Amino acid sequence: MLRVQNIQFRISPNLSLSNISFDVQAGEVVAILGANGAGKSTLLKIITGALKMNSGNVFINDLPISYWTSKELSKCTAVMQQQNQLQLPFTVCEVVMMGRYPHFKTKATLEDENIVACVLEKTGIQKLKDRNYLSLSGGEQQRVHLARVLAQISGKKNAEPRYLFMDEPSNNLDIRHQHSALNVAKEFAQEGNCVVAVLHDLNLALQYADKIILLKNGAMKGFGAVSTVMTNESLSDVYDLPLTIFYPPSGSHPMVIPFANNINNNELINN
Amino acid sequence: MQSTKIRAITISISCLLIVSVVMGMGMGAVSISPLQIMAILVGKIGMNTSIQYSDVQESVLVAIRLPRVLLAVLIGSSLAISGAAMQGLFRNPLADPSLIGISSGASFAAVAAIVLGINSVGIITSVAGTYALSFVTFVGALITAVLVYRLSQSGGKTIITTMLLAGIAINSLAGAGTGLFTYAANDAQLRSITFWMLGSLGGATWSSVLGILPFTLLPVFVLPHYAKALNAFSLGEANAAHLGTNTERVKIIIVLLAALCVGASVAVAGIIGFVGLVVPHIIRLSIGPDNRYLLLLTPILGALLLVSADLAARTLFIPSELPIGIITSLIGAPFFLYMVVKELKTQKNF
Repeated sequence: MLRVQNIQFRISPNLSLSNISFDVQAGEVVAILGANGAGKSTLLKIITGALKMNSGNVFINDLPISYWTSKELSKCTAVMQQQNQLQLPFTVCEVVMMGRYPHFKTKATLEDENIVACVLEKTGIQKLKDRNYLSLSGGEQQRVHLARVLAQISGKKNAEPRYLFMDEPSNNLDIRHQHSALNVAKEFAQEGNCVVAVLHDLNLALQYADKIILLKNGAMKGFGAVSTVMTNESLSDVYDLPLTIFYPPSGSHPMVIPFANNINNNELINN
Repeated sequence: MQSTKIRAITISISCLLIVSVVMGMGMGAVSISPLQIMAILVGKIGMNTSIQYSDVQESVLVAIRLPRVLLAVLIGSSLAISGAAMQGLFRNPLADPSLIGISSGASFAAVAAIVLGINSVGIITSVAGTYALSFVTFVGALITAVLVYRLSQSGGKTIITTMLLAGIAINSLAGAGTGLFTYAANDAQLRSITFWMLGSLGGATWSSVLGILPFTLLPVFVLPHYAKALNAFSLGEANAAHLGTNTERVKIIIVLLAALCVGASVAVAGIIGFVGLVVPHIIRLSIGPDNRYLLLLTPILGALLLVSADLAARTLFIPSELPIGIITSLIGAPFFLYMVVKELKTQKNF
């Protein structure tokens, strides 16, 4: 499991985090929510070891993150970033194979090849596999990186969970692929792993997350199960915008609507 | 399929390299046939053959042609591989040591060293002198490489415009500095300064070959071990770190080795531009950008290109000889323009 204790981080008054603590159990999808500049990506960078915190602890599988070598860490954690800077004409297959780099020395094994084939299938990009990455659309490129990070932490399973960290995985994706990306993440979690994702789309969070971390100005405004943390009051406070959670009568999951009080559409409310 | 293609390309450019080396040794004012070349070389290790050759042919081959061809092989392969490695580090195919100012930094260091007296004992003609000068040019190359790298990185991303503009600035700064030193130089020093500015293999001797041997062979054999790391680097530094790459160590080693190559080749042959740009690009066009193959093939093609270019420089306008830098720029500059246009199309942050 992932345990975060009392993170303090400050590099400027605009960029600081204070008193962040939470833990993520195997099998859970945890969404980090908050307005622009709340510190979501910074928090993700700290728990993945890309940034050093001023004080506090991050434990991955009960070991402090500072004890992990980047080599060992890369075998059980993968990070999908908001932006990717690939400018060389690699094929899709080659990019996805980079996810397996921590696992082989110079030549990919049969197992690596199989894992790559499997994640290409899972993310629905097997048709693109021989295409030049640079010729793809932004959404397709995003799916290639999803496949790459999945490849990195797929494969023979031992007892310890693996960790998938995602910063805005739904960036550039159309609605169908937003859902398939989060479905893939959810499935991965349900295999006994942990997923932590920064999300902008509150409806996706309502639908896919097990737990929520709410951030505002670098402070944690709430952590816990979706139904307890995501309330009209807490969301309106965090985003500085009147937000209302609706439970559509025939829908399986709730959704968030802004300015609902002004619209005052009583027909819709119906919960 | 890919691996058969790579093998075919490796074999064909290696064969072409052998052919060009033999032509490079055989062609010129004194012509020597391939058989005679073999006979002379075999004769040198004490075996006699029935093939006839003259003393002039023997001394031309051993004292002039052989070191010159070997120098072209060493410099071509190391410039090409350092270009490929720099492009991996900068995550961009336009990062060529001569374009971004590394070569001119090295040549400025060489000129400064000569005028300030490193040459006072005439040491450039000795192996130790080549070592000393290689060290000075290495320092010059290293400083400019680190400077350009620092300037062009922003938030883990390479700003290509900054990289190329910084290269222009450093090139003209080094040019101005070199120009200043020419005022302080005496006649003999002036002659060697012109030599550095133009780039030529005309000064090839056994001591220059031996002098750069370690500095060029080390990168050619060590850099391919960082191929996987450089591939990961193309995803951005943060992503490379998440893939288990020790990014700080990789950066230091690549910059050190590339500066070593460039420094050593500038020390004995001056600035030979565009080799590090053209060669990796041709390889990428034929087999793709995977550094695991790129870093193995670029040294071979680099050697082939420089041996052929030097052959052309020597034989196109006999008896006079073109500086080899002119030939490589004639091939490289249009190539570079083409790549810039292509880059503009594919890239938003240009």
